[in-house]
Amino acid sequence: MKQKKKVTIAQGCALVIVIYSILAVCFYFIGGEQLKYTPSQEYKATEKSTTTIGEIRRNMTVMQTFIAQTDEVQRVSLLFATGGKQNPGVALIRILNMANGKVLAQKNVVLSSLANNAYTSIGFDQPVKVNKGETLGLTLNVPNSEEGKTISVWFDAGNTFQGGGAWFLNGVKQQGTLCIIYSGRDKILFGDYYWDLVIGLGILLAIYCINLVVKQKKGKRSFGLNLIATFLKYRFLLHQLVSRDFKTKYKRSVLGVFWSFLNPLLSMTVQYVVFSTLFKSNISNFAVYLLTGIVFFNFFSEATGMGLGSIVGNASLITKVYIPKYIFPVSRVLSSVINLLISIIPLIIVMMITRTPITPALLLLPFSIVCIIAFCIGMSFLLSSAMVFFRDMQFLWNVVSMLWVYATPIFYPESILPQKYIFIFKLNPLYHFIRFARTIILNGVSPEPKAYLFCLIAGFLPLVIGAIVFKRTQNKFILNL
Amino acid sequence: MIKAEHISMEFKITHDRINSLKEYLVTRLRGKLEYEEFWALKDVSFEVQKGEVIGIIGRNGAGKSTLLKVISGILKPSKGEIMVSGNIVPMLELGAGFDSDLSGRENIFLNGSILGYSERYLRDKYNEIVQFSELKEFIDVPIRNYSSGMLMRLAFSIATVIEPEILIVDEILSVGDEAFQRKSRARMLELMGGGTTVLFVSHSIEQIKEMCDRVIWLDYGQVKMIGDSKEICEHYQNYMS
Ligand SMILES: Nc1ncnc2c1ncn2[C@@H]1O[C@H](COP(=O)(O)OP(=O)(O)OP(=O)(O)O)[C@@H](O)[C@H]1O
Ligand SMILES: [Mg+2]
Repeated sequence: MKQKKKVTIAQGCALVIVIYSILAVCFYFIGGEQLKYTPSQEYKATEKSTTTIGEIRRNMTVMQTFIAQTDEVQRVSLLFATGGKQNPGVALIRILNMANGKVLAQKNVVLSSLANNAYTSIGFDQPVKVNKGETLGLTLNVPNSEEGKTISVWFDAGNTFQGGGAWFLNGVKQQGTLCIIYSGRDKILFGDYYWDLVIGLGILLAIYCINLVVKQKKGKRSFGLNLIATFLKYRFLLHQLVSRDFKTKYKRSVLGVFWSFLNPLLSMTVQYVVFSTLFKSNISNFAVYLLTGIVFFNFFSEATGMGLGSIVGNASLITKVYIPKYIFPVSRVLSSVINLLISIIPLIIVMMITRTPITPALLLLPFSIVCIIAFCIGMSFLLSSAMVFFRDMQFLWNVVSMLWVYATPIFYPESILPQKYIFIFKLNPLYHFIRFARTIILNGVSPEPKAYLFCLIAGFLPLVIGAIVFKRTQNKFILNL
Repeated sequence: MIKAEHISMEFKITHDRINSLKEYLVTRLRGKLEYEEFWALKDVSFEVQKGEVIGIIGRNGAGKSTLLKVISGILKPSKGEIMVSGNIVPMLELGAGFDSDLSGRENIFLNGSILGYSERYLRDKYNEIVQFSELKEFIDVPIRNYSSGMLMRLAFSIATVIEPEILIVDEILSVGDEAFQRKSRARMLELMGGGTTVLFVSHSIEQIKEMCDRVIWLDYGQVKMIGDSKEICEHYQNYMS
């Protein structure tokens, strides 16, 4: 028989603080660059292009100045003209600080790799640190160009680079602007203050823990202690209810648990076939994109669907035994969590098949899972209490959740809405969880710090609202069951 | 141990139950949400000491089950206050939360956890429960294949394996065949002898006379009489006949 040692509050608190510290350190390394920088938009000199500047010869220097709008410059794009030929040699691209003439970065690009009459993006090996507002120069040379076998670039005589800037040929100022784009990244405060934040939160946590321990010694009651006590008291019940749901769900099916596994794969296959011709070109790795959305949405629809009936379905229990009623919606959502965890396995398999890189960033996935669980528990609180008073809630909810599928970018790309209507997605909590997971899975990096905040809000605000509504109405449940 | 002060329990009885959003909106718009107030308990006060065995009698619909639900915390009284110290095992209905697809073994843990037993306690007492229920090899069969008597045996065994401080029993002592009835009666007496406070509803006056120290007689939600069991039972029998 298993014998569990009793853990005191003080030990529990110490454990929490240790775990917190470990997580904070791990997070710093996994989160990496994404915590310190956010990608900037692309700054484009002009939308038009009138003519090329003519062949760039050996001794010619083409330069475009512009005002730095980002903290770092990572990429520049130029609209080259190659004449459709395979030109020999290389082009030298440099970034200068115009104030002191210093070369900040340079890069050699093979001429034959340039596109003809289309923007070619050139990334620097290291991000170029600049100061916002200072004037930078982008120079282009073709040191060993041969006549007739060299390139040119396009310019727009009618416009200048927004915010200031001009283009020069051998130091002589010219009309208009070259067709260039640059982009980079901006520093974010979060990265600079990460450790301060970690330590600050750590201290708050420690103070709260000490407070709990002191209160417990004095025998006083507190919200935190009550929460821990009820959790410990009803942990076994919760465990039993979850395992009941799980056992009975597949008890008489032939494939059993395997369904949790197959279900997302089957719906992915169907939707892949249907939608791939429509959206595939916009989304690299459409299979994984789709499956991530399906796994998360399936969890949501299963958990809320089960949570909805949790109070009404357990009426016979509620009218006969005293059990805190919140146990029912919570246990239903937790049983769906098991399904969610199982359906992550096919997701990983599809990732491997499509050769999506498996990165340490995947360790951040639990964050979005915790947030969506909180969201689903909150929704189940709301729905299950509404269901007690209005039995037609279940039909209404069927319709709502069906519409919700279409309102969430699951099988279509976010870009389906123009940038200015993106806020419609942002009002949808599921969008945040799914986007968070996709950033991790598809890009292999941590999302930006703001995404964490959005996920937290989207998950825990509904939880709090749901809990309040549930608490207010729960005493009336029994009169309506 | 238990102290009830001026407890009243009100039910609102709507004539056509409003269960759907449409009905609700319609009645709201018409501006009349008609319901009748019904007091299932009216100003009930009493006190129970530790170790007492209390019988509750009264005609059908007198409010006995409602009172037990208020004491076990399932219903919150509309007025008044109830104070209870000690852990309660309510046996308002046996086998609450049994799942017909699960085996007897799994149901012991499920039902036990619903009654508030800890995991360790259930594991320790598991054999005792199985033995008392006399289900033997049937314990691993899904309970949908049990007879109703077998089901009740299992439920009774789970509910009484614990020695609760307060036991609340609502007409359940007619469980199983004759042999098991005798056995369960003996178990109840054993619990009562062991200092458990018992609240006990039965329509069998003989049983009440035999087992209880004091009796509460409820009539139309009010306490009609309260006192020594023999005395009250005689009054009750005269009144009823
Ligand atoms: N949820 C409810 N809503 C409305 N009325 C209720 C509800 N529960 C009980 N009642 C009413 O309260 C009254 C008392 O019911 P209760 O079950 O306590 O009676 P009882 O004394 O246990 O009767 P019996 O001897 O038949 O078991 C009944 O008239 C019943 O209709
Ligand atoms: Mg009754």
